[in-house]
Amino acid sequence: MNFLKHNLRWYLPVLTGALILFLWILVKELFGIRNFILPSPLKIAQAAIAERHVLFQSAMITLSGASLGFVTAAIAGILGSMVMALSGNLRLSLYPYILILQMTPMAIFAPVLVIWLGPGLPAVTVITFLICFFPIVANTTQGLISVDKNMVDLFRMINADRGQEVRLLRLPHALPYFLTGLRIAGSIAMIGGITGDLFAGNASGGVGGLGFMVLVYNAQLKIPALWAAGFTACLCGFLFVSVVIALNWFLLHKWHDSIAKSDV
Amino acid sequence: MVKITALQKRYGQGAVILDDINLEFEKGEFVSLIGPSGCGKSTLLKLIASLSPVTSGSLVVDGMTPENAREEMAFIFQEPTLLPWRTVTRNIELPLEVLHTKWDKREEICARTRKLVGLDHVPDHYPRQLSGGMKMRVSIARALSLSPKILLLDEPFGALDEMTRDRLNEQLLAIREQQKFTAFFVTHSVAEAVFLSSRIIVLAANPGRVYQDIRVPFAYPRSAETRESPEYQRCVAEVTKVLRAVNPDHP
Repeated sequence: MNFLKHNLRWYLPVLTGALILFLWILVKELFGIRNFILPSPLKIAQAAIAERHVLFQSAMITLSGASLGFVTAAIAGILGSMVMALSGNLRLSLYPYILILQMTPMAIFAPVLVIWLGPGLPAVTVITFLICFFPIVANTTQGLISVDKNMVDLFRMINADRGQEVRLLRLPHALPYFLTGLRIAGSIAMIGGITGDLFAGNASGGVGGLGFMVLVYNAQLKIPALWAAGFTACLCGFLFVSVVIALNWFLLHKWHDSIAKSDV
Repeated sequence: MVKITALQKRYGQGAVILDDINLEFEKGEFVSLIGPSGCGKSTLLKLIASLSPVTSGSLVVDGMTPENAREEMAFIFQEPTLLPWRTVTRNIELPLEVLHTKWDKREEICARTRKLVGLDHVPDHYPRQLSGGMKMRVSIARALSLSPKILLLDEPFGALDEMTRDRLNEQLLAIREQQKFTAFFVTHSVAEAVFLSSRIIVLAANPGRVYQDIRVPFAYPRSAETRESPEYQRCVAEVTKVLRAVNPDHP
């Protein structure tokens, strides 16, 4: 009994997964749904194995675009938030335009980017960057400016200069906020990568990114392979989020309450 | 040590917070500032600390402007204001790090002040692992690490339970026997003020002004037993009466 209790967090999600698979097969068999509308899990697994080389290669292409965009967004996010934290007037002037970047659908940016950069990795990177930048810059700025007034007074009392205040107080205080932004960005970076593939991908050597392969499989009516590509994207997304969660744990577990209290 | 003459404080064009304050304090005094809320006692402390500018009048700290005297002062806030990402030791040494004190010197001062506040057993704990009283002790140790001539305390024990508060009061006096700082202590508690102070300034509100300047008649060192002595209890009763007179709305 104890074993069951202690490993709840592992076997409960597995159990849910098994239940979903069971319902999937049940519904498909019960209503006789055809393969091109809803392929069986087995068919998808077979397609994934058959196409494994292609899927692996295209996952790598998408992942490189997504991670490049994600990493540059993280760096630009930190720098941008430090600029934004300098003054309230600066924030007022810049914020609407950062919002506009975020609000404009990528489907509109993408063709412009292809005109400027041509299809391929740079365009995919920029699209991911544009999607990831906002949550990082917004959260980190919040962290930099929401330092307790007494803390700032403390630093004044010990005659700390502006640089010390930023390095010893504001940046560490903003770290959990930055990581929250990073977590949101991590969960949408793959969306950026795939959107990038769809609009700005190219297929040098016959294989493109996952978004590109979705178009190809669709045209070829390889529906189970299409689903397999979808699941591969899903897996890559998980990979992203787990890296960020690991980083989050590594940087915060010693001192931040969020790790001790939350269960994810 | 601190001389205040015809001091007035207001924020912008707002109401006058402190009006016509004239006070002089000697080296080694332990001064409590007490009074109804809105009497400006915390503001007065911030003015001495130069965390807020004086509107008019003069405020001299050890012969200097408060800004220039900042290095001689340490401030202990209502909250422990510890950096949660730093261990006890790293929190205590923060002021030394800012001053670029040599590493071995830092280590030595840190160990000494840690012992002084009785935190020798938790050097590598993070603030979230400590109780409220322990956090406050880290905050005190951090303030003491620079051996300040003047210690400014803004209701530091207000959020703690009575037991912990009494214990910390005793510890604070014991530390003062060794470090000989001049102290300014803002509090709501008459008992605390009487136990700690050599002098109690009772302020009145709207605008904040000095209502009464009371000398506490009994000597240091004081200990837990002091609280049982009749002269202590008489003094508490007396100050309570003054405080009621100054604050008639809340008998």
